[in-house]
Amino acid sequence: MSTVPSLAVRLGSLELPYPTLMGSGCYGTGEEFAPLADLTRIGAIVLKSVTRLPRLGNPMPRIVHTPAGMLNAIGLQNPGIDWYLERELHKYAERPCKLIGSVAGFSVDDYARVCERLAARAEIAAVELNVSCPNVASEGETFGCDPGLTAEVVRAARSTTDKTLIVKLSPNVTDIAAVARAAEAAGADALAVINTVRGMAIDVDAWRPRLGNVAGGLSGPAIRPIAVLAVYEAAQAVRIPIVGQGGIETLTDALEFFLAGASAISIGTANFTDPRVPGRIVTELQAYLARRGLADLGALVGKANQGFTTPHQYEGDEG
Amino acid sequence: MATIDTRVHATTVSERRELGPGVVLLTLDAAELANATRPGQYVMAIPPSGETAATALAVYETQGKLASLLFFTTGKRTRELAALHSGDRLDLIGPLGNGFDCSGDARDVAIVAGGVGIASVLLCAQRLVRLGSRVRLFYGARTAELLIESQRFADAGCELVETTDDGTRGAPGFVTDALERAPRPQAIYACGPTPMLRRVAQIANASGVRAQLSLEETFGCGIGGCWGCVVPLVRASVQAPSFPPAQAVNGDFVYARICREGPVFWAHELRW
Ligand SMILES: Cc1cc2nc3c(=O)[nH]c(=O)nc-3n(C[C@H](O)[C@H](O)[C@H](O)COP(=O)(O)O)c2cc1C
Ligand code: FES
Repeated sequence: MSTVPSLAVRLGSLELPYPTLMGSGCYGTGEEFAPLADLTRIGAIVLKSVTRLPRLGNPMPRIVHTPAGMLNAIGLQNPGIDWYLERELHKYAERPCKLIGSVAGFSVDDYARVCERLAARAEIAAVELNVSCPNVASEGETFGCDPGLTAEVVRAARSTTDKTLIVKLSPNVTDIAAVARAAEAAGADALAVINTVRGMAIDVDAWRPRLGNVAGGLSGPAIRPIAVLAVYEAAQAVRIPIVGQGGIETLTDALEFFLAGASAISIGTANFTDPRVPGRIVTELQAYLARRGLADLGALVGKANQGFTTPHQYEGDEG
Repeated sequence: MATIDTRVHATTVSERRELGPGVVLLTLDAAELANATRPGQYVMAIPPSGETAATALAVYETQGKLASLLFFTTGKRTRELAALHSGDRLDLIGPLGNGFDCSGDARDVAIVAGGVGIASVLLCAQRLVRLGSRVRLFYGARTAELLIESQRFADAGCELVETTDDGTRGAPGFVTDALERAPRPQAIYACGPTPMLRRVAQIANASGVRAQLSLEETFGCGIGGCWGCVVPLVRASVQAPSFPPAQAVNGDFVYARICREGPVFWAHELRW
């Protein structure tokens, strides 16, 4: 085949040249990684979650390395939406890729207000609702664990903006399909699946939890099978596109997610191993499609499930 | 702060030496890195297997086009690096961190190193000696065979005060006890385990000596992107432009990133 396969993907009205998002909280503001990675060859950066009020975050230690992954309990350290909009966001305008704002909150009203103000800014191409942070004394995750509350948050946020709304789901639920459906029905344009898995590590010399916050969120390859299944189940429950994530480090990992039903992927912890991972995956994905004679990613999405019909978000697709 | 020189360096191992039980010195062919690194800066070593997180390691020494890393094998990640041999490739991100301020206006300097902390202070010692300071190295380890590289510092022109926890070499006890007993220096530079650094900070603050402490912490990204490595600073000591959350948050302390605003902090700005 002579034409280069397209890696472009559409999430609601958001068009991205590559299907690779950099996971919230894992890629700073992009500035930190700019000398180490080619930001023109990533889809978008999902910025660190921001809340209505400033947060100091959790006490140390905040990170523990575990087999095939890590636990984190940052606790949403951020300057609050006022400072963020006044003093921070304009500095990110120079990035050569799209920026997705991430909102965390403790009430429906928090989400709606922060979403509205964030989405109003030109620097922000889309908004992700983090209803699934496991690191803030259970409140943060309450929303993502309950289909009704998820729907309320999404509905309230939806009424504030026409920009693409991505809802980030928690794996710490018994029925992720129910939460996925609730988010879709309430107006989500896409789902991010999954956030980190709750976990804990104990220092057996000190007889104490290793994390300052006791509990944390597990990420990295350790959670990949959990994430692949969550994507598979969510993809069958909804028609909106899914951003698959959880331990993606290689082309093979990425393919698993596409085949499970993800239309795009997000890379978080792998950037801590090697910041060249996202660039490598894009190059290899393009070569893979070319080798197989596939014109775009649509040909892969959900193909591990024979009854699955591909959502229409690829170039050249109708609707 | 990450400097304009920070980037991914493809280096080659030119020599691997074992300096003691589980203590490895890797010398790398890394011209640009060697040239750009200042005392107290570090690198993130990208694991050749791609299977673990990157590891933060101090740049021990630079010489011409060579840069060396000195580390203790404590877990899976350092074991993988310790298994490298001459000719192997090792990719590094660096140089990273603010490093020590070695401007050299103190004529009588104490460097305090505990355990693997020794890896962070050689470049600093060499610089201070070159600037004409008297440099006393207070160097403590658990036991004699872990007191490595003392000769290297003596050759560099440092006066040595050694301690071991078990008394097998030098004075028995903690290195901070030796520091406390000694005539007061005009400036202190320190790197080692956190309890040692806390004690150095107490000694320095009580006697009004300015001390720079290089902190160790478990890193996530190691480059300022994840907020996983913070330390509380006295709020009043934090300057406005350096990091915004300080002004936005009420309270008497703010969290700074060890990997980005540090790893070196003034003892008097830490809220320990
Ligand atoms: C240190 C760290 C901080 C994170 N912070 C956030 C955050 O602020 N908001 C959010 O929605 N997800 C956050 N996440 C979750 C990631 O964005 C991602 O969804 C998750 O880690 C799974 O992907 P991975 O295995 O590729 O990292 C964080 C993850 C890590 C490791
Ligand atoms: S380790 Fe990520 S900010 Fe320091």
